[in-house]
Amino acid sequence: MLKFENITKIFKPEFFNQPFVALSDVSFEIPSGSMVGFLGANGAGKTTSLKIIMDFIRADKGLVTFSSELGEKRNDVFRNIGFLPERPYFYPNLTGREFLTFMGQISELSSDQIKAGIAKWASRFKIDHALERPLRTYSKGMLQRIGFLATILHEPKLIILDEPLSGLDPIGRKELKDVIVEVHREGKTVFFSSHIVPDIEEICDRVVFLKEGKLVYDGPVDKLLRSGQEIDYVIKFKTDKKINLQSTIKSHQTFPGQLHSITVTESNKKLILKELMALDVDLSGIDLIKPSLEEIFYHIKAN
Amino acid sequence: MMLDKILIISKYTFKELIKSRILYVTLIIGIALMVVTYVATEFTYGVPEKVALDFGLGMLSLSSVGISLFMGASLLFKEIDSRTVYMVISRPVPRWVFITGKITGLIFILLLNIGILTVMTLTCSYLLGGEINQAILMSILFNFLESVLLLLVVVFLSLFINNTLATIISLTVLLLGHAIKDTKNILFVQQRPYIQYVLDLYHFVLPNFYKLNLKDYVIYNQTLSLDFLLGSFAYGVCYSLFLFFMIIFLFNRKNLD
Repeated sequence: MLKFENITKIFKPEFFNQPFVALSDVSFEIPSGSMVGFLGANGAGKTTSLKIIMDFIRADKGLVTFSSELGEKRNDVFRNIGFLPERPYFYPNLTGREFLTFMGQISELSSDQIKAGIAKWASRFKIDHALERPLRTYSKGMLQRIGFLATILHEPKLIILDEPLSGLDPIGRKELKDVIVEVHREGKTVFFSSHIVPDIEEICDRVVFLKEGKLVYDGPVDKLLRSGQEIDYVIKFKTDKKINLQSTIKSHQTFPGQLHSITVTESNKKLILKELMALDVDLSGIDLIKPSLEEIFYHIKAN
Repeated sequence: MMLDKILIISKYTFKELIKSRILYVTLIIGIALMVVTYVATEFTYGVPEKVALDFGLGMLSLSSVGISLFMGASLLFKEIDSRTVYMVISRPVPRWVFITGKITGLIFILLLNIGILTVMTLTCSYLLGGEINQAILMSILFNFLESVLLLLVVVFLSLFINNTLATIISLTVLLLGHAIKDTKNILFVQQRPYIQYVLDLYHFVLPNFYKLNLKDYVIYNQTLSLDFLLGSFAYGVCYSLFLFFMIIFLFNRKNLD
């Protein structure tokens, strides 16, 4: 659906300042029908890459190509793309409905299509009650939701989102993730940036990982999180007995109320659970410890 | 298709600006005009309609210049700063369509401002016994042309520099553009050829706003030749078109970061 080939972008600031390499020979591909996460810390070059894809800024080297299913000419391609920038503010004096109508009209939708689209999604995003209010009265989460509605209103084949979950409360994040998954199931290709690993892990099948303007990983999410790296689990249980386990554990902590928390590797998990069952402990829970962005990066670098 | 999109963008730019209460300034000026007119009837003997006309045309010019300067400078800056431009040009909307729509929307605001103040000025002048002639309407048309030209100057500058600097430089260009003709006639300048060269260069390159100022001719009932009017009108239109195409050319190449 989209090829990002050998892109280099160097920002040349004012005189006397050193040029800054934002992207260095970065290449990746977004396959049709996939849900791809764009992972990287702040300043890694994610937004710069998205701006180059959308032709807001030009690369110094390299090429962005769109597959013919999006269209041949620039206008055809952009008719099939929905883009949501990071923390958009929109026109503060327009009402929600006016803004959506404007976005629908420039996307070449008929007024019936615009009305149907608003009716379909506004209640889903819980902004139907606020559509007649000026956008300046919207909360951050509401702006993000109306922005996403405007992004999918024209039913694009490729949806590109820049940090769509930032600034949302946990419920808002969950709702937006559910809608992203829903539109993906309808056959849309989704490419969204985030610096939060669990967000990507939860809904993406592929991930592109940038670090300081360089591509460090492009492939399946599972492989990024697990390949060659031992996954740890935290097992929590209650017991009044003294614990003396045969298998190796990474750490053991005790808390008031006879609560114990032990950290074990994936390979030892089953053995330790058997031992704990034999000791007749009261099991409280098992949690997977998800690696942080930095842990993943250093692991990839080491390999 | 592209014309439709220009009209859609200009319509919503117009709506957004109207709702931002910019025209409150116009209404305040209109009310001030009526108060001044009333005062003029009490204190000016014989020519209150001229005071109303002078004040009305002056305010009309000042408010149009204000709208062009301040709204023009923030026209692109606000779009990029709030990332709204990304939403619009990520649709099947070429950059030239976007910028043309934005400028057209602001020109509609200028038209509305000038329309309201024209009606108020002419009404006040007429009620005080003044007549509405072609020269007044011509002066208002030229005033509109002046504010469009200034708008294009400020939008052009805002493509390179920040909006505050663009406003200050545009205001300077406006003032110099009005003063250039009289400055060239000063004896001090005429005696120094090198200053004349600089002024000639300025006269040739930067907009000569004095050519679009017909207010004095109207107030003092001076006659204007058709050649002068056509020449000045063509100058204003051609300079505006040149700036407009330069804006499109540069905006198409601008990095929107």
